[in-house]
Amino acid sequence: MVARKPIFAHKEDANAREALTLYEAKQYKKALKLVDQNLKKNLSHAESLALKGCCNYQLGHKSEAENYILRALKNGSTNYLVNHLAGIYYRNVENYPEAAIWYKAAVDNGSHNTPILRDLALLQLQTRDYKNLRECRQKYLESQPGFRANWTALAVSHHLNKDFDAAVSTLDKIEGIIKEHLQEQDMYEHSECVLYKISIIFETGNVARALEELEAKSDEIRDRLSFLEMKANFLLLLGKQKEASLIYRQLLQRNPDQASYYQSLEIALGTSNEAPEIRLKLYDKLSSFYPRADPPKILPLSFLPASHPEFKKRAADYVLTQLKRGVPAAFVNIKPFYNDHHKASVILSIVQEFFENEINNFPPPVFVWANYFLAQHYLYVNQLDKALCYIDTALEHTPTLVELYILKARIVKHSGDFIEASHIMQKGRSLDLQDRFINSKATKYLFRANKVEEAIDCVSLFTKNDDDAANGLGDLQVMQSNWTLVESAEGYSRLYYEQCALAKQEGIESEKSTETMDLAEIYLGLALKRFMSVLKVFQVYENDQFDYHSYCMRVGTTRDYIEMVKWEDKLHSTPIYVRAIRGFTKLLQEVRVELLNSETDETVSKEKKKRNVKKIKQINVKKKNEVMARVQPSPKDEDPLGQKALNEFREANKLLSQLESLVKQLSLEAANYLFTWDLAYDFYKHEKKYVLALQALRSWSKIVDPQNKKLRVVGNRVLDLQSAVEQDGSVNVAIAKVVQKGLESAFPELSEGQENLLSVYSH
Amino acid sequence: MTRSTVALDDVTVNNLGTFKIINEVCLPTTYPDSWYENSVKLPSEVSQLAFYSELPVGAIQGKLINLSHKIPSFEVATSILMNTKLKIVHDALYIESLAVLPAYRGKGVGSKLLEWIIEQTKERFVHEIALHVHVDNKEAIEWYKKKGFQQQEEVVKDYYKQQELPNPDAYIFKMTV
Repeated sequence: MVARKPIFAHKEDANAREALTLYEAKQYKKALKLVDQNLKKNLSHAESLALKGCCNYQLGHKSEAENYILRALKNGSTNYLVNHLAGIYYRNVENYPEAAIWYKAAVDNGSHNTPILRDLALLQLQTRDYKNLRECRQKYLESQPGFRANWTALAVSHHLNKDFDAAVSTLDKIEGIIKEHLQEQDMYEHSECVLYKISIIFETGNVARALEELEAKSDEIRDRLSFLEMKANFLLLLGKQKEASLIYRQLLQRNPDQASYYQSLEIALGTSNEAPEIRLKLYDKLSSFYPRADPPKILPLSFLPASHPEFKKRAADYVLTQLKRGVPAAFVNIKPFYNDHHKASVILSIVQEFFENEINNFPPPVFVWANYFLAQHYLYVNQLDKALCYIDTALEHTPTLVELYILKARIVKHSGDFIEASHIMQKGRSLDLQDRFINSKATKYLFRANKVEEAIDCVSLFTKNDDDAANGLGDLQVMQSNWTLVESAEGYSRLYYEQCALAKQEGIESEKSTETMDLAEIYLGLALKRFMSVLKVFQVYENDQFDYHSYCMRVGTTRDYIEMVKWEDKLHSTPIYVRAIRGFTKLLQEVRVELLNSETDETVSKEKKKRNVKKIKQINVKKKNEVMARVQPSPKDEDPLGQKALNEFREANKLLSQLESLVKQLSLEAANYLFTWDLAYDFYKHEKKYVLALQALRSWSKIVDPQNKKLRVVGNRVLDLQSAVEQDGSVNVAIAKVVQKGLESAFPELSEGQENLLSVYSH
Repeated sequence: MTRSTVALDDVTVNNLGTFKIINEVCLPTTYPDSWYENSVKLPSEVSQLAFYSELPVGAIQGKLINLSHKIPSFEVATSILMNTKLKIVHDALYIESLAVLPAYRGKGVGSKLLEWIIEQTKERFVHEIALHVHVDNKEAIEWYKKKGFQQQEEVVKDYYKQQELPNPDAYIFKMTV
């Protein structure tokens, strides 16, 4: 870095630099020793404090580290070394926004260390600060123009700012520079960069130019599949149907199992809206080219109407072939056509006719699979008795087939008997203990039957169980098995509500009810804890992208990188996450109501409550230990029952801030879920943030009633918000007016009175 | 179906449940759980599952015994006592169970299992196979005769008494291989 040794006015500074060198060489203990000497003389030496924080972090004293960093920043917030160290610290603890601030400060305060720019760019990507990212990438490129990755990175930053032209011209520039120097090992990266550029050009809407570029660079593109797919798509968009159809035929040759190629080919040939007979001819032809491919056989079933004689013939051909071959997925394959109930009944008649007339001519497994098919059919149309009848026949015939047990358990589950369903699933599991699929199914059904611990034991047969762990819970968290975490959380929630209901029955005073409440408390804590572990997993998903900001530039996989960034931006709309939040927030609301009630209760009963609480804690010890032994994911877990977390939530601020951050996150990323706006509405209404509640109400009504059919539920909620504002004495008059105006503009019927609104919103 | 329709595979600790269910639905007799556990534990046990187009449909289990030991009842035949006398000289293989799901009979599944156990017998340098059949089980009696077994004159009285079968006597069948 610095060639000649600088001369420092203070010995502390010199010492600190030396310690820094040691720190960089990972000699943390030695560095710490030097720094401690410094701090003995000068307690507020900022650089030393910062270094001490970082060394402490590296040496594993993580809880002490931040304090030193904060003190260092207090004493030297304009010292770029201190800034840099603070940035490093916050990056290590994965607090990216804070890290970005201090890296930026290091640059602004005059650090000449160019790698800081690179690190800052990564942090800006992580925090989606695209505006500043561009400048940072530009500066770094100027310092290191010899690497293609830096040019690509700059182009990506332009792209993310939606400055497509700048992105394309950056990529053009480096292409021109590097052309002469390309070697064989660079060619794949080059090909990816070219495709990336073309995809940006396409994004600007200039399809003709994209096609031109694609054809010009054809020889340089290694990813031939993408090349062909892009080319076909461009041609289609440009109206060059004939040429496009040729490319789609080429693509079909490569992969005749890709259904979308057939559909695109039809668009290119202009047959999509033709009579079924004409389209059928095309598919028959294609089927003769690719006799083993599935799409040319199944796609005609989608456009042939149920009444068409060919439909029955084709469907019979398709379904019966699979039944005779013993394909377990026969029903699942044909199920897409069940959205048309005419087609469903034709399909049923096909299988029934076969079942009645021909089944005896085939080997016994065909009989089983036909029964299996019919049972699935009746389950789908919700005639559970018939479904049960068929599956029992199959089971009697071949009681050794695992699939039959799975289906029977499903049917029984639909009839509402979760316990019996889990027994059946367990019986199926006993047939083949090394079948992971049935193991997972059995686990899930045990969860549904509220046998949470049995379920964990069951799934633990397939996890890596450390010697000191009671079961595979720890491994399930490491493996990010969200479904088990969510199912167990939901199981504990149900147990919690069960216990609450039981306690109510027993009456508040009885001895027994305290015991019941103990259990309820434990289940509540466990449910919260499991839900929070899903939150943690998603935090990991979010943090995991950090490495890819640099990695993808280096290896040149920019197209996939952009995809990943887009995916991460919608990460929290993943269904399993939203499901977890649904359960989690419901419990949090429960805690909140409990808190509100205890506040409004009179002092006398408060005393009583306190006493009760004390009692609970006492009994808990024994019970707690008992439960703990079974649920503890690892002995290192400090809060195995989630009681600590639960008590933290009882201090209302934590609960509210948690709820608020979830509401904000979902509003931003999962706006197309009804649940998001349900949650937001309830939260803001409770928090008396009526304007935000109004916004949530409007978003909600758009999802709940997309065709604006004026549903009664919408009308009711409008009135609910109106009366909430009216009854709230503390509300600011201006705010009340804004809300009223907002409601009237969104729901004009309201301006003529509540009754008028309800008479319109009556559906 | 291109693959051979009937195939065999070992009984393992993981598919014992399958073995058990085949016996339960096919045979009027009940085997204790310990018997199933022993079938994968003891070296003197030989057992095999049969599959019909990949569905498990049949199972066989036999063990090495000395023919001079009397087997007065089904319970003795399936008890661990028979296995613990490891020092005895084995001179025969005794078939404890042979079952094929009713829907899959007459398709060569049982024959394949029998062929397999004959091979196993020879590999263990034993040349006699023996078994008991319930006197009312006409289907099995015919089948074993067809396969070359000789019915012995002796009838074991009350062999299946504790299993509560009507007419609880049993015939002994033997074959030299």
